[in-house]
Amino acid sequence: MTTLSALPLASVDFTTLPQQLVNGFLLGAIYALVALGYTMVYGVLKLINFAHGEVFMLGSYGALFTSWMLGFGPGGNEALTGSWVTLVIMLFGSMLVSGTAGFLIERFAYRPIRNHPRIASLITAIGLSLLLQYGGQIFLLQGGKQAINSKVNPYADDLTFNLVKPDQKLAAEAATYQKRVDDAQVAKDKQFEHEPDRFNPSPLGVSLEKTLNELKEKQSDITNKANLTAVTLKIPKGKLIMLTAILGLMCSLWYLVMKTRMGRAMRAVSVDFNAASLMGINLNTVITFTFILGSTLAGAGAMMYSTFQAAPIDSFSGAAPGVKAFVAAVLGGIGNIPGAVLGALVMGIAENLVTWSGYSSYRDAIAFVILIGVLLFRPGGILGSNKVEKV
Amino acid sequence: MKTFSVGDWTKSRLISVVVALIFCFLCQLAFGGDGLKIYLRLLFSLVGIYVTLAVSLNLINGITGQFSIGHAAFYQIGAYTAALLGSTYFSNMANHSSLLWLFMAMIFSAIVAGVAGFIVGLPSLRLRGDYLAVVTLGIGEIVNIIVKNQKSLGEAYGLSTAKYESTVFAVVLLAIICIAVSRNLLKTSHGLAFLAVREDEIASSAMGVNLTKVKVTAFVLGSAFAGAAGALYAHTKGFVGPADFSMDTSFLILTMVVLGGTGSITGTTCAAIVLFIIPEKMRDMHDLMLGVPIGVAIGIMVGVGMLKKIQDTFHGDGKVRFGMNIGSMVLGIIVAYGASKLLCTIHGLQTMVNGQLFRMPVLAITLVVVMLLRPQGIFGHNEFSWSWVQKLIGKKNVPEAEVAA
Repeated sequence: MTTLSALPLASVDFTTLPQQLVNGFLLGAIYALVALGYTMVYGVLKLINFAHGEVFMLGSYGALFTSWMLGFGPGGNEALTGSWVTLVIMLFGSMLVSGTAGFLIERFAYRPIRNHPRIASLITAIGLSLLLQYGGQIFLLQGGKQAINSKVNPYADDLTFNLVKPDQKLAAEAATYQKRVDDAQVAKDKQFEHEPDRFNPSPLGVSLEKTLNELKEKQSDITNKANLTAVTLKIPKGKLIMLTAILGLMCSLWYLVMKTRMGRAMRAVSVDFNAASLMGINLNTVITFTFILGSTLAGAGAMMYSTFQAAPIDSFSGAAPGVKAFVAAVLGGIGNIPGAVLGALVMGIAENLVTWSGYSSYRDAIAFVILIGVLLFRPGGILGSNKVEKV
Repeated sequence: MKTFSVGDWTKSRLISVVVALIFCFLCQLAFGGDGLKIYLRLLFSLVGIYVTLAVSLNLINGITGQFSIGHAAFYQIGAYTAALLGSTYFSNMANHSSLLWLFMAMIFSAIVAGVAGFIVGLPSLRLRGDYLAVVTLGIGEIVNIIVKNQKSLGEAYGLSTAKYESTVFAVVLLAIICIAVSRNLLKTSHGLAFLAVREDEIASSAMGVNLTKVKVTAFVLGSAFAGAAGALYAHTKGFVGPADFSMDTSFLILTMVVLGGTGSITGTTCAAIVLFIIPEKMRDMHDLMLGVPIGVAIGIMVGVGMLKKIQDTFHGDGKVRFGMNIGSMVLGIIVAYGASKLLCTIHGLQTMVNGQLFRMPVLAITLVVVMLLRPQGIFGHNEFSWSWVQKLIGKKNVPEAEVAA
């Protein structure tokens, strides 16, 4: 054991691993919603929309302000608790705000320079992202960091699953100790009923009290040991509802892209921009629609991130999830919709594992490390194709 | 066309070197004093450092066309190398002969940053455009996060090192060397290879340009200059901390290159000077009513929208067009003034905000507006040259401007 403890990883607790994996999966599901926006815009316009993280930030402000309007703001009614209706209204509020933001960004920043070299759009995207971050700092950050009132979420209690039962022997021992503790407690109580002065007991009372305390100590020790051999999972009910909602959104997105006219137009534009316009597809409509769709999904992700993950909101809070979602999109193969979801799940799990292994200060660096690794060894991503550029 | 003999060439070179050195000494005399001049010296040194950074990024971004947005990483590596060497290993020497030590620190830092640039330059062979941008951005962040978590590098508290007054001389010298290297590179056949890679990688490799060599050379040169600038920064301020090298610094340098004109050394230099001084002066603005920035933003929107409309739709006479452009700018200013006056009367918009907060939004708006109206930057690919000045004064029949870099 001494050699193991010299290793930095020896401090990790493997019984919490399943819990961390599940947490990572749930976080990844949120990232997936954001990554879909990156991947769809890239598929249609071949543009990395750096301002997408800021659309996400605006979406979380949308959720925050909606919750304030519903009475969960500062100085609101203390007794008020949320229901599923509150959550749905907040979801639509944030989707509306970020959808509008996405539409405005496309219309007034990207459309005028669509025919210029791609680097120009990229620089505009960086400029917009900076503008929204620092401009938001002026208008939105008057009261410091904000957080959504935890009372909006009525489903905060955990569902507990016992994956591995505690060690039989230890559990039995703990049970016997529990019994002995109970017996000692009864004996002590009986003795103390006859004591004239509770705070200055006779020698018999003192010895009984001492035994009881010793037994209690041993009992808690053994119970802890027994618990360490058990593997339990705790999932808040709210997060399960969130996961269902995300799945619903993804199914509707799949239907929209694969089964409707607009989805077919989107796919056609992503295959060949010019040929699609020659076939009578209105490019402006399709691109605007794609931006609104991607931004709306980012808004839904933002509402879930700030409500169920209880992430604090400020004007820079979109940058980190934005970068991670972007890395997720590249990891899965940018322009590829199932790839974005897969990449986001990998990213979420990777981030939680880094925190779990004790390197939480490197949590934001892992995204870039994965990104560089992917781009160097498989530039097309996991599900993407490795195309060689030809003349 | 006049032909130069070897003698003439050597003479003109010698003269320019002597002029540059004299200029450095004059700057040192003018800004290197004590007392009240300390702020001025710091400002001047930082402007010089940012000119070096912008011109060195221009070497990668503008001339070779490799879109790198993590230049602060090399700057940081250089600064920390100098600070570490100066504060721990060579502290004795650093106290004695400051100018000699300064040059040694610059060379050390340049070498370390150059090696880092080599390592970053290698992936650029496989990536292009936006992917390279993201990877360089990521490298900048990774370097910063590692520095923040290393005990030996002072974590988030930073490192302190010796502070020198003679940095002004070195700063100006470095900026001049950096500009001279970029400019002279463009006059040689090697420089043409860099330009060819920017214009079309596939075509240039078909013409026999060694893509690997050109890209890696650009990265190593650019990052070595940034590293040397970092060493100067460390010894000018006497302190380095991770907050000085965040993503914002990278974006500031990028804005300088983009605004001045990607590829234009003159443009980058001018933009670096202007873009460093304006945000610095904005530190003096303390209280501002919230209505003012909104009004100014509305004014900018109106002005830029009209300029863009004229650019896209009006194809008439040049003079009329010029007049319309000026008119829309004036209108924008009037709208900005009127709107901010009007908005400040509304009660909710009378909150006071700190003017310092506007430093980054101004940069961001500059980036977006320049991209909307003039994507090639203010100078485009043009360079300053004497024949251009002669043309401007009114002399006709001057040979065409030199290489449109």
